[in-house]
Amino acid sequence: MLVLSRKVNQSIMVGDNVRVVVVAVDRDQVKLGIEAPREIAVHRSEIYEEIQRSNRSAAAAGAPVAAGAPVVTRAALQPRKKSQKPAKKSE
Amino acid sequence: MESPRMMTVETSRFGEVTFAETDLFEFPWGLPGFADQRRFLALSLAEQPSFIWLQSVDDPKLALPVADPWQIFPDYEPRMPAYATEALDVRGAEDFTILCVVVVTKDAEEMTMNLMAPVIINLKTRRARQVMLENSPYSVRTVIPRKHLEAQGTAQPA
Repeated sequence: MLVLSRKVNQSIMVGDNVRVVVVAVDRDQVKLGIEAPREIAVHRSEIYEEIQRSNRSAAAAGAPVAAGAPVVTRAALQPRKKSQKPAKKSE
Repeated sequence: MESPRMMTVETSRFGEVTFAETDLFEFPWGLPGFADQRRFLALSLAEQPSFIWLQSVDDPKLALPVADPWQIFPDYEPRMPAYATEALDVRGAEDFTILCVVVVTKDAEEMTMNLMAPVIINLKTRRARQVMLENSPYSVRTVIPRKHLEAQGTAQPA
């Protein structure tokens, strides 16, 4: 792991597009600011790891399907039905 | 127009599946836990149409069960993060659908749905991404009420 020392208001670049700024330090807590392109997802590691674990257990669950059970390819999925409320878009 | 190329994958769960290349969904960012998987098919058992398995074509052992969250939680209102709408180029309600991962516990006593990390699929581009609704009220493990399962005919995945 690369380890760098930074002071408050100093930053590091990750690649050409991602800047991580040390915004504040208070005892054992560090506040970071992240500037990244909009399509880049930025999450706390614990949450990402929780989703990883959840996906892995989802994929591991269930017995194999009986041989010859008819399987349908769902090539065309449907958008959410109109009667339902539309999903909100966050700013 | 040229007819789409037919392909075959020998899956662990469903045996041999033949599909058109145009049936594939692309996950350009992979999936948390399966970052290298890019190409998936949506498969259902004919007897369990409420369940969709996202079957990886790159790893035939990997199939992730998902379902329409509104079928079970009609009040579900995910606020899509900007990075998702941007990355998937989602413009209107007809453009996309949302599916949530279903987990069956080891003893098959309980089924949960991951409402915190829905899979968003752009139906026009067939590109998809699982997103994380941080700071949302939704849990990774939302219990699916058993009576509801029975009512929907969605028994646990085979």
